Amino acid sequence: MKFGLFYEHQLPKPYGKDQWDPDQEHKLLKNALDQVELADSLGFDYVFEVEHHFLEEYSHSSAPEIFLAAASQRTKNIRLGHGIALMPPRYNHPARVAERIATLDLVSDGRVEFGTGESASEMEMGGFGVRREEKKMMWEEATRECVKMMTEAPYSGVEGAYVGMPSRNVIPKPLQKPHPPLWVASSRRETTMVAARLGMGSLGFAFETPDEAEERVANYFQLVKDECFPIGKAVNPALAVLSVLSCFDSDEEAIDKGMEGAQFFAYSLGYYYNPFTGGNHKPGEMNIYSKFIDTPPEQRWGPLGEGFRGFGGFQGAAVTEEPKDEVTRALWRAAQRGGCIGTPDFITDTLRKYEAAHLDLMIFVAQCGARKHEDVMDSIYRTGVKVIPEFKERHEQHQRWRGEQLEGLEYPVNSSI
Amino acid sequence: MPNKLERINDDALRLSLTDAQTSLRSGNFSDVVHRSSDAYVEMLRRDPELLKGPLGMRRIMFFPRLGARLVQEQDGTPTIIYDRETFIFSEAITYFEFAVDNLIKEGL
Repeated sequence: MKFGLFYEHQLPKPYGKDQWDPDQEHKLLKNALDQVELADSLGFDYVFEVEHHFLEEYSHSSAPEIFLAAASQRTKNIRLGHGIALMPPRYNHPARVAERIATLDLVSDGRVEFGTGESASEMEMGGFGVRREEKKMMWEEATRECVKMMTEAPYSGVEGAYVGMPSRNVIPKPLQKPHPPLWVASSRRETTMVAARLGMGSLGFAFETPDEAEERVANYFQLVKDECFPIGKAVNPALAVLSVLSCFDSDEEAIDKGMEGAQFFAYSLGYYYNPFTGGNHKPGEMNIYSKFIDTPPEQRWGPLGEGFRGFGGFQGAAVTEEPKDEVTRALWRAAQRGGCIGTPDFITDTLRKYEAAHLDLMIFVAQCGARKHEDVMDSIYRTGVKVIPEFKERHEQHQRWRGEQLEGLEYPVNSSI
Repeated sequence: MPNKLERINDDALRLSLTDAQTSLRSGNFSDVVHRSSDAYVEMLRRDPELLKGPLGMRRIMFFPRLGARLVQEQDGTPTIIYDRETFIFSEAITYFEFAVDNLIKEGL
């Protein structure tokens, strides 16, 4: 199993204030670059960065290609993932995406992972005039054409439902051939099976438990082998899931420094992605963090209610018998939902279950909510030194398992796993 | 691991979704969306308890809205509204997998 970091660039407003402090966004991005540089030096394999627009406090990451380009010049080995680039053409024309991906691939010496997606929040779709009922159609068409633009010289052109372009040679071309590994954001379970059938990696932003992951891995690889019609010129069989990370020398410290940020992540996600109320946000006027802090802790997992309480919101594991002790209960809840909040030993135990389920990549959300930069750095450092090494030692076994699963696959594979 | 469809116990629903899978393989994506949506609605109609409370809200809310929508009529009956009749591969897969997963989850 490999490991990555995931960036939303969360930036809560100071409690009770209408606006951020003047230098907050600047510090946020510079700190994140320091974190990525540290992760690279410790052997983390990937950094993935989202593309979101207008989601104040939840995500200040609207230009991931710029951040990743900066990261590429401060790192040596870590792979640079779009997690994801928004593909409906109203967000980004596919030719512009192809140009940016290729350029980043060149300046990073071939380290790009091309994650794609379509977005789901009313704030973003409404802002760019993307209709919910058409967004997946836009994604599929634009992604298909974008890959052609990266691989055809010249691109043959298209008159599609959403992309119209005459023949042009879209340059530069990416360093990785035929193109960087392809991924799709799989915030819904069904999209993992879309990924399999299109030969794409699945970026599972849905915070699965190890048991859920095991079933999904088995189904995914079966479909890749039996029912795949690749959207690109090579397939990227790969399954990634997200987990919150807070790694410290004691459970109490991990919870103290990490739990509120994890809860804010879930709370703000629910705030923007609730299909009934997500569009009610008043731009520039709200302070989501203040609302979150004023919410009783037991309700902070999300504004949508008990059924949505799991970290990440929508896929919480069944809650049956919770331990009575507060610290144990918090850890148990985090573990039930795939969370990595605790000591290196606790996190290692949790990750071994994902490894046993043959998960390819665990992506950590280390920066979230109002977590302090120093704590994020500590947590990354401790994970890199005390957790990741034993998994690296066993990765060859996983690669052999992958080889067995993919034996007989009739398409070329381009995967960094 | 057995084919997921084999885990659907109800003969009629399993047959309908098996036909949907055949349509998916042959490129008849509209048929996939119709069969999958119908199967999901049939599940909800058989057991009105499934539409009650917060979990009931989720069952409506998380139905894909990619050209076919799940709504409740005034008397609460779930029904599908089609905004269009043409669907693409990824949309068809989404409706198909959603229906299969939920039927299995509810033990049908």
